[in-house]
Amino acid sequence: MSDRLLDIRDLSVEFGPVARPLRVVDRVSFSIDAGKTLGIVGESGSGKSMTALSVLRLVPEPPARISGQILFDGRDLLKVPRRNMPAIRGKDIGMIFQEPMASLNPLMSIGDQIAEAIMLHESMSADRRRERVLDLLRLVGLPDPEGRLGAYPDQFSGGMRQRVMAAIAMACNPRLLIADEPTTALDVTIQAQVLEMMLDIRRRFNSAILLITHDLGVVAEVCERVVVMYAGKVVEDADVGSLFANALHPYTQGLLRSVPSLTDTRKRLYQIPGSVPPARTIKAGCPFRPRCPARMDRCAVEMPPLVPYAPGHRAACWAVSKEMAE
Amino acid sequence: MARYLLLRLLDLVPTVFLVLTLVFIAMRILPGDPALAALGANADGGQLEAFRERMGLNDPLWLQYVHFLWDAVRLDFGNSLMSNIPISTLIANNLPHTVYLTIVSVALGLFIGIPLGLYAATQRNKLPDNALRIYSLIGYSVPDFYLGAILLIVFSLNLGWFPINGAGEGFWDGLHHIFLPALSLALLKSAFLGRLTRTSLLEVLGRDYVRTARAKGAREGRVIFRHGLRNAMLPLSTGIGISILATLSGAVAIELVFNRPGIGRLLISAIQERDYPVIQAGVMMFATFVVLVNLLMDIVYIFIDPRIRMKS
Ligand SMILES: Nc1ncnc2c1ncn2[C@@H]1O[C@H](COP(=O)(O)OP(=O)(O)OP(=O)(O)O)[C@@H](O)[C@H]1O
Ligand SMILES: [Mg+2]
Repeated sequence: MSDRLLDIRDLSVEFGPVARPLRVVDRVSFSIDAGKTLGIVGESGSGKSMTALSVLRLVPEPPARISGQILFDGRDLLKVPRRNMPAIRGKDIGMIFQEPMASLNPLMSIGDQIAEAIMLHESMSADRRRERVLDLLRLVGLPDPEGRLGAYPDQFSGGMRQRVMAAIAMACNPRLLIADEPTTALDVTIQAQVLEMMLDIRRRFNSAILLITHDLGVVAEVCERVVVMYAGKVVEDADVGSLFANALHPYTQGLLRSVPSLTDTRKRLYQIPGSVPPARTIKAGCPFRPRCPARMDRCAVEMPPLVPYAPGHRAACWAVSKEMAE
Repeated sequence: MARYLLLRLLDLVPTVFLVLTLVFIAMRILPGDPALAALGANADGGQLEAFRERMGLNDPLWLQYVHFLWDAVRLDFGNSLMSNIPISTLIANNLPHTVYLTIVSVALGLFIGIPLGLYAATQRNKLPDNALRIYSLIGYSVPDFYLGAILLIVFSLNLGWFPINGAGEGFWDGLHHIFLPALSLALLKSAFLGRLTRTSLLEVLGRDYVRTARAKGAREGRVIFRHGLRNAMLPLSTGIGISILATLSGAVAIELVFNRPGIGRLLISAIQERDYPVIQAGVMMFATFVVLVNLLMDIVYIFIDPRIRMKS
């Protein structure tokens, strides 16, 4: 595993008082190889964004407390002095945010906003920078880039803003691109275009992508590996093929049954009953238990560990471990 | 953009019209007889009647109204009843002092308030933030004329560092004279603008696009000034407009305390002497100020916010 680009080990993010911490990310571990795409899926509130923001150290500390290791190219980002983080952000790691409508500065032209991303890390003449901005806009497939350099975010649709966000994130050819639900706010055709664009970018620059979504359909299209999160915990991780063929965790199975089927649109979508519990102080037992169809007595007492059941396929579930043992 | 400005100017017409009408009505409702006030208690009935006839006070109300509007449009306010000096001369002599005082006070308020607010916002809930909270509490609760009186007593009368009254001659002397009055007016403004800067900036710094700026690799200074303060200028410029207007009204009392020439003092003495045409002109001056400041703010918005520029 020499080309392991990002290796997250036991990452936890806590809020609230130290004595009764609110743990929104709980001992999360996963890794991404260069040139590969890893998807994090999970319902709203499961800690996906917090995990991603921790990588860039963009979770405000305090109030948050972050522990564990985030090894980027072997270097632990959680040990990097805060004042050195700006040199890494945008240069080695680029990020596309969840909300395209609110993530661009309304008072700055989009040309200036992309140019700023370049200017912060590379010195070059204004002319060359302009050329680079135009190249980026072409890369993300924005029509008429020359005519749009001076435009402001308000004149753009959600899809176009998301492309501008992508151009900003890609401005310095980062080795890791984090995309936090880059398509949820967009309609279906634009979604497909934005995903296509990200894959195109990955092909060209051999960057790794960390894609956050709650849409397993998107994962199936673009990812090699998947991490399933629930209430701040990783409950299953696997290669995409393995996960879709043989999901182990009852939560993942529920998510899979709620993916709209392209062949049979008449069937009513399955919904996992209940909802993600609000972040709370750590209690013993599995957080999915109240909604779980396979729950056992043991689930109330002890959180199941994340253990491998097949090569590269892990799950955290007592029911699965019992079944495998039999 | 020129079109937008023109439209904004046209928007002002009904406002100005309304203000003029209100002034007209107010002047007729005001207790007291202008003729009596002008000629004194010793004047006989014939003299009073002649005066009323000359001033058009015997005309039907609608005709008075038309004359009043016509005079106002031509900026012809007539003469002072007391001194018989043309009111336009009185205004020309006093207006610059009030404008100067307002500009210096607001500038001082900005100069003190914005850095305080910036510092407090970056040190949220720490000592500087709490210090600003206390400072603005004092700023809000001490009336400016009271502060003016104290400054006058301490620094002019007792210590003799500053002149006691007047506006001074020339630039440096003028500055020497204006410092204490402007400072009295600036305390409240700096408290208000400091708090406003802090709140607006904190609000903006929590926005998603500020996180985007950080994710690009912008350092804190750049984040705060380029992305934060620039966006916070939108609510702040409204606050500055309010400050200008508040300073104008505060200037009335301060001009009295420091015995400075100005529209405020002119207006107060006109009220004491029941010099109706001067009161009328003074009120109109203040109303015009309000309208102009609003227009100025609209123009400032255009420069700050491209969204307004695009729409026009
Ligand atoms: N400042 C904070 N203080 C306390 N809890 C917080 C704070 N910020 C976020 N949380 C909690 O952290 C949990 C995880 O949030 P996160 O944004 O990572 O979820 P997510 O998986 O990205 O959800 P979504 O799909 O809605 O984006 C949520 O329960 C949220 O309420
Ligand atoms: Mg999220």
